[in-house]
Amino acid sequence: MSTTAEAERPDLDGGDLAERYGLRKVGGRPTLRVYIRQVWERRHFAIAFARAKAYSGNQGSYLGQLWAILTPLLWAALYFLVFGMLLKTDRGIDNFAAFLVTGLFVIRFINGCMNGSAGSIDKSHNLISSLQFPRILIPMAYAGSAFINLVPALVVLFGISLLTGEPIRWQMLLIVPTVLMAFVFATGLAFFSARLVDEVADLNNIIPFTNRAIMYSSGVFFDLSRYGDGTAHTIMSHQPWAIFIELARVAVLGGYTVEPDIWLWALGWALLTFVTGFIFFWRAEAKYGRG
Amino acid sequence: MDDVHVTYRTFGGKRQVEGAKKPNWMRQHIGAVDLVKAVQGVSFVAHHGESIGLIGHNGSGKSTLMRAMAGLVPLAGGAVYTDGTASLLGVGGALMKDLSGERNVKLGCLALGLTPKELDAQYESVVEFAGIGEFIQLPMRAYSSGMGARLRFAISTAARPDILLIDEALATGDQQFKRRSQERIDEIKEHAGTILLVSHSMSTIRESCTRALWLHRGKLRMDGPVDEVVDAYEDSMG
Repeated sequence: MSTTAEAERPDLDGGDLAERYGLRKVGGRPTLRVYIRQVWERRHFAIAFARAKAYSGNQGSYLGQLWAILTPLLWAALYFLVFGMLLKTDRGIDNFAAFLVTGLFVIRFINGCMNGSAGSIDKSHNLISSLQFPRILIPMAYAGSAFINLVPALVVLFGISLLTGEPIRWQMLLIVPTVLMAFVFATGLAFFSARLVDEVADLNNIIPFTNRAIMYSSGVFFDLSRYGDGTAHTIMSHQPWAIFIELARVAVLGGYTVEPDIWLWALGWALLTFVTGFIFFWRAEAKYGRG
Repeated sequence: MDDVHVTYRTFGGKRQVEGAKKPNWMRQHIGAVDLVKAVQGVSFVAHHGESIGLIGHNGSGKSTLMRAMAGLVPLAGGAVYTDGTASLLGVGGALMKDLSGERNVKLGCLALGLTPKELDAQYESVVEFAGIGEFIQLPMRAYSSGMGARLRFAISTAARPDILLIDEALATGDQQFKRRSQERIDEIKEHAGTILLVSHSMSTIRESCTRALWLHRGKLRMDGPVDEVVDAYEDSMG
């Protein structure tokens, strides 16, 4: 309802008028370049949000932040009891306790990123409907908070490794590039799950099943050599979840080795998933927050 | 704003169309998705230095229209163009009740787009303005509703947008805090070029706005000088 003279010029639409007065369009989807810049500018918020989320997860109990260590310890104990003592899936693997717990923590971290960010857009509805920022910061912060929770789990992991008689070696440092690549990979997955579940909420009910399927098939409880040495083995030992588990075992278990090209596979999976996930999420930027 | 439409998708319930036959029982529980057309084709131009009041019944689309202006809800059609940043007063959504007031101040300010440097500079004044004493170190769930509102208000007014959007009843708390928040709003208003205010209090609208928009069922019913529009609105209510 413009009261200015242009209102009587039906040949001019809103967009033309806006351009004439140098106005910018609000909302919608910015170009990829602008989007990346906005994400970079707001990185402090994403980091603060991730830390706050990780911290608040352990608040509200007597032991408080001590749970950051206790939770992974209890998981390790439970799984070792069930798979190591009761089901005896070790089949001659040396130091099965450390073998199992390494796989478990890596897979729980990656799946946790995907699971956590699945409903993240909906859970952050209040945030989305009161502030303007690139929405991709939400799955990023969820993945970041899972990463923060991984750190005490790694302390537990190396504690178990040393207690079960693994020597201190330089290879232990390889855990740093391994978890960083796993983090990049898992964040990419988080982008996919965040958008997919926002569009079709029903998928949220499916994700726990795919997570379990991945966990049971990626060599958490057994050695990948069980797949024989045919095509099945080639596929199962080059899928990203198995790769990150294997690389983590190189750092944790003395004498554990992988083919050198597995490192390149890990890097490739991490970058590919992150970049395609980022673009996939960005393409729907204008649609998040529809209630 | 140019022919703006906003549609919400709702899950878990369907409205019954009058006159239509009662829907089958299953449709209420499986595949119960409905579309709510909250804003349907609203256009207007707001100029620099204008204070605009938005009035209308509950559910007429006032708050949604504001959110659309700030780019917070996806548009089903049309476009919004602005010069500068539009921001909605209120960061309630960014706060976490398990965290202490201190951490919430930091998180809220970063959410508003402040840089860590600006945050350091403003932190003290935000805490001081909230005036909740040592409670700032306790988690927010321990706050009374008044204390929570004070902290939220203090945080949300840390930024200085060009276009200010105010969704009614911001000034809460006791008399003293109300006066201080009014002063703070006035200060932000001076900085902002354009203000949009949603309120059900016609006296507030008459006092602080020069122009008013009357929304009815998602459509713009009237747009004009504040007294004219408010008079017409009050007449229609009988």
